[in-house]
Amino acid sequence: MKSLIRFGLACGLAALAAAPAHANLKVATSLTDLASVAQFVGGTHVTAQSLCRGYEDPHFVPAKPSLMKAIQHADVFVSTGLELDAGWLPLVLPGSRNPKIQPGAKGFVDASEGVQVLEKPTGTVSRAAGDVHPLGNPHYYLDPKALEVVAHHLAEVFSRLDPANADAYAANAKSFDEKMDASLEKWQKEMDPYKGAPIVPYHKNFIYFIDRFGLKEFGNVEPKPGIPPTPRHIAELAEAMKKSGVKVVAYEPYYKADAANEVAKRSGGIAVEVATEVGGLPGTDDVFAKFDALVSTLTGALSGRARGQK
Amino acid sequence: MNALFTGQAAHNLQQPYGLDFDEAEISLISVVDPYWTFTSNIVFVGNGEVDPEEVWVRNTSIPGIQLKLGKLRGTFGKHGLLHTHAFPFIQAPVVMANTIGNEGFKDPGLEASWLTPLPWFSELTGGVYRGIEADDEHPLDFGSSAHDNIPFLGHFKNLVDLNDATTLELGQSLLQGRGADGNHHLAFGGDVTVRNVPPRSSNRHGWILQGEYIQKGSRAGGSYVREQDGGYASLQYRLSQIWWIGVRGDQARDSFADFVVDEAGSPIPSKVTRGSVNLAWTPSEFSFLRLEYSHAKSDAGIHPTDDRLMLQLSYTIGYHPAHAY
Repeated sequence: MKSLIRFGLACGLAALAAAPAHANLKVATSLTDLASVAQFVGGTHVTAQSLCRGYEDPHFVPAKPSLMKAIQHADVFVSTGLELDAGWLPLVLPGSRNPKIQPGAKGFVDASEGVQVLEKPTGTVSRAAGDVHPLGNPHYYLDPKALEVVAHHLAEVFSRLDPANADAYAANAKSFDEKMDASLEKWQKEMDPYKGAPIVPYHKNFIYFIDRFGLKEFGNVEPKPGIPPTPRHIAELAEAMKKSGVKVVAYEPYYKADAANEVAKRSGGIAVEVATEVGGLPGTDDVFAKFDALVSTLTGALSGRARGQK
Repeated sequence: MNALFTGQAAHNLQQPYGLDFDEAEISLISVVDPYWTFTSNIVFVGNGEVDPEEVWVRNTSIPGIQLKLGKLRGTFGKHGLLHTHAFPFIQAPVVMANTIGNEGFKDPGLEASWLTPLPWFSELTGGVYRGIEADDEHPLDFGSSAHDNIPFLGHFKNLVDLNDATTLELGQSLLQGRGADGNHHLAFGGDVTVRNVPPRSSNRHGWILQGEYIQKGSRAGGSYVREQDGGYASLQYRLSQIWWIGVRGDQARDSFADFVVDEAGSPIPSKVTRGSVNLAWTPSEFSFLRLEYSHAKSDAGIHPTDDRLMLQLSYTIGYHPAHAY
């Protein structure tokens, strides 16, 4: 009997030794970009997962109970903030029955804190202008520098919750800055020839990218944020693009390619599918790969290479 | 705030055709302190009455448990959890008004729901409520004045992801209390929902296939008597960002419906079978216009069949909390 117990103990210890080290913090995020930054900053001490997939419209995530289950034991929840997730998060967070990540708790993070927010409405905010975000444009994750702010914010939060690894989190955030700055320099060099070039994003979510790389937003495929394109709007937009020589329409995997392609066809331009969120398209597995792909696709389209021009 | 208007052409009803104001609902939601969140839905109905339909607080500071306290919409079934403007069809299934209430079971009480440790979403809810007499809104007689008359509810809900886009949900509910006649009155039901929301077109495509059965009865002297029962099966299909279509069949036995009356015009119970189809235009998240046709038949009363055409308009201003999945 004793030998049987000894054998059992030995097997148990062997199994424990063979098991992978558990991460100190379980982190869940609204967006894949935030999960990518959280994983970089957290390194091996953190497991990060996003509730919204990269190819899913972050405005319209169904508040599935399975999402509540997924964050039931999370230590940290990182919300995009600025009401981008307001359509589903107020159901998912309380539904998780996890007091650690409710708004106001130590484990709840509004990632937009500290980010320089663009397009904050001034004056009266009205839905006559479409589904306008009253706190400002929430798509700041299209600015590489804004993600550095997020990285440092997350390093502070992780350090508070897991002080034993505070040095590692700070070092990782610094390393994130360095990698992002080096990448940004490269992307800016690639984008420099197109400074001032107009583009037509499907939705009003490119403004941070446009601001960072000196592009111009000519218009949007949506007539107003959240309002589907009408035939009249498509015709007017295409005509205006034609007159002004605007050639590039950009749309995400979760938008209707038909409308974007129709605008491009009528205006004599090109519609390119881009991932504005990590994981939106193959080869965009982290924030660096996402910007690599975005810059490459847009420069290709703006240069005319993608349209077969020399 | 949401405002709901419905126009109805129903030849069997002694009502003028035309658009009517149904209700306006004001939702107030705010955090009270680190422990409680306050939610209220105050409804202004067409006849000028004001109904504090829901006024409750929620606590999420206990791991795994959610507490709700106040005037609640009891967690029973699927359709009974919906606000009027969130009904998938203009008319609620006939069984609702004959079992737990046209808009579900609403009563002051306390509910606790536990997210079980099972690997999928599995929620067990228990609730206790104040005993109230039966009326138009509360078909269940919980009107006993006995001190130990504490109506209680049990609800078990399980949801699994079948794949990236589709979920399967199963629910069972039970509600029981003691009536003014001293007997036990109860309702029980089961529901199944298969829902598809393709992640790449979550605001353009998808469908919801749903079925629900509810039975109301009472127990006297050890024997159970079924009073009313019925159910529905429906399919809602999203054609595009702005267009939805829906089709539903529903049936209720020993039940009252507005067109089922005798020669004197008095309501009488019957077996009612109804089919409904609708088409909804939702130009934005905040408004919709819905056209619905229904054909019903009854095995009693002076109108063996009923046909009606309805038009509903819904408008929402300000912040509106997300609807449950």
